[in-house]
Amino acid sequence: MNLALDVHNLTKQFGQILAVDNISFTVNQGEIFGFLGPNGAGKTTTIRMLTGQTRPTSGSLRVAGMDMIQEPNRAKGCMGVVPEVSNIYDEMSAWDNLIFAAQLYGVPKNERKKRAKELLELFGLHERLADRAGNFSKGMKRRLTIAAALIHKPSILFLDEPTSGLDVQSSRMIRNLTKDLNKNGATIFLTTHYIEEADQLCQRIAMVNQGRIVAVDNPEKLKASVEKHQIIEVSFDKTQNLERKLASLKYSSKVTQVGDKFRLHVRNTSEVVPLLVDFARENGLKIVSINALNPSLEDAFVEMTGLSPEVMATEKEQGKKAASLG
Amino acid sequence: MARAWADSLIKAFYIAKKDAKVYYFKAPNFTYGLLIPVSLYLAFSMAGEISSKLIVAGLTSLVMLFGTTSIEAVAVVLEKQTGTFERLLAAPISLFTIVLGKALAGFFFGLILAGAVLFPLATLSGIVVMNPMLAVIAIAFTSLAFSALGIIASAYAKWVPEAQMLSNFLRFPMVFLSGTFTALETLPSQLQVVARFLPLTYSVEALRSSVGESAVTYTYILDIVVLALFSLVLLVLSAKILEKRIA
Repeated sequence: MNLALDVHNLTKQFGQILAVDNISFTVNQGEIFGFLGPNGAGKTTTIRMLTGQTRPTSGSLRVAGMDMIQEPNRAKGCMGVVPEVSNIYDEMSAWDNLIFAAQLYGVPKNERKKRAKELLELFGLHERLADRAGNFSKGMKRRLTIAAALIHKPSILFLDEPTSGLDVQSSRMIRNLTKDLNKNGATIFLTTHYIEEADQLCQRIAMVNQGRIVAVDNPEKLKASVEKHQIIEVSFDKTQNLERKLASLKYSSKVTQVGDKFRLHVRNTSEVVPLLVDFARENGLKIVSINALNPSLEDAFVEMTGLSPEVMATEKEQGKKAASLG
Repeated sequence: MARAWADSLIKAFYIAKKDAKVYYFKAPNFTYGLLIPVSLYLAFSMAGEISSKLIVAGLTSLVMLFGTTSIEAVAVVLEKQTGTFERLLAAPISLFTIVLGKALAGFFFGLILAGAVLFPLATLSGIVVMNPMLAVIAIAFTSLAFSALGIIASAYAKWVPEAQMLSNFLRFPMVFLSGTFTALETLPSQLQVVARFLPLTYSVEALRSSVGESAVTYTYILDIVVLALFSLVLLVLSAKILEKRIA
């Protein structure tokens, strides 16, 4: 199979800080590849190296067969980059932003206008084409950033946290678009801290933590790797002070409260269900629902990185706040 | 090879056009580019008599210095802050093309400012610009060298105030050491040596020759050659510094 990305022993060091530590992976052509990890895991530094924005300290990197170090301009020409923060020119109109992107990527003059028009229509921005991008909403800016990244019809698209901070409608639109682009043959390299998003979209996922890749596989295999634990999700008509009581239940190794439900990590579901029925009776509770859950990608992530997804999301938000304050 | 250079130059022009639209061609920038040099000249002309030829030559050089560096120094920083610089870095162009594009925007802005000062002032003062072609060449290389100087300040800075401070650090000593307000020969001999390392010295000298303040000799051509060298060296240097800063 042809490789869209072929990464060997890629390392990036900033002074004493090792941001990316000797990572190796491949991405097949036509694949949606997820890069999942918490803030500070080295995701953005990796993307910056993969897209030729910064040189690796060591290691090799080929994009669609082209060496990024030796022939960066040829390699960069076949990729589109959507960074985490929308980076269009606020002072320019939507139209001018797209035309400028087309000029940078060498789109022939007679195709620029046609392509810009098509993309503005596709992203629902056609009626605002002459407006300053600075007056756009966050979702519209995001769509324009993606449109600018697609102007030269790249074969590889890098999406860095594409739906972060967007409303439900814009997020859904971008996810559907990602799927459509992939159906049409584009390779997608997606970084996200939304585990569910990675699970829905990606054919393979690399989990990263502290600059290292801790696992690379397809989502189902990653989930299967943590199947030694089973999860029972139960909800009662009352929720107060139940987490501690449930934790003392026999056969249950861990209990977490998720909304009005409790998740019990157990070795054997059949042993625990009767105990839960007894528990409800003894405490004067009614069982509203009880389900056996398969391990999720989130469970696999927690198992492999030792981090909780909540921590990851919090770190991300803190990072953004710090960046906006800076 | 030639095709690659042509492609690089075309893309640099696109960047310059974008920069002109986004940063340069706004009324406050024209005002600022003219305001400080004119104020400086008014202040110094009150202290002593300055010939109109000196005013025309010095003021033309100063509007280019202040006009180009003021915006150039913040243009890269602003792009880094808003993330648009990443757009340029991710595009299939070299860092030198980006620097060249940025410098070209400042170059054209400097040309316009210089044209707006030199020719009207010369006409009003009854001064004849001798060999206008050489004057335009001197102005062009001055503008390019100062644009590159602005990029150097911008490459070192993380924030706009830092860039402004750095560009002032480069500009103001030059204003007083380059013989802008007086003849270079009136400076102490050690400072005359320092002046020879400053592009403004050669710009003022060349423009003085062009308005007949000093004789048009081989030094006029030499000034232009030195300005061309400054342009080239400062452009390459700014690209190298920027490369190091973003690594």
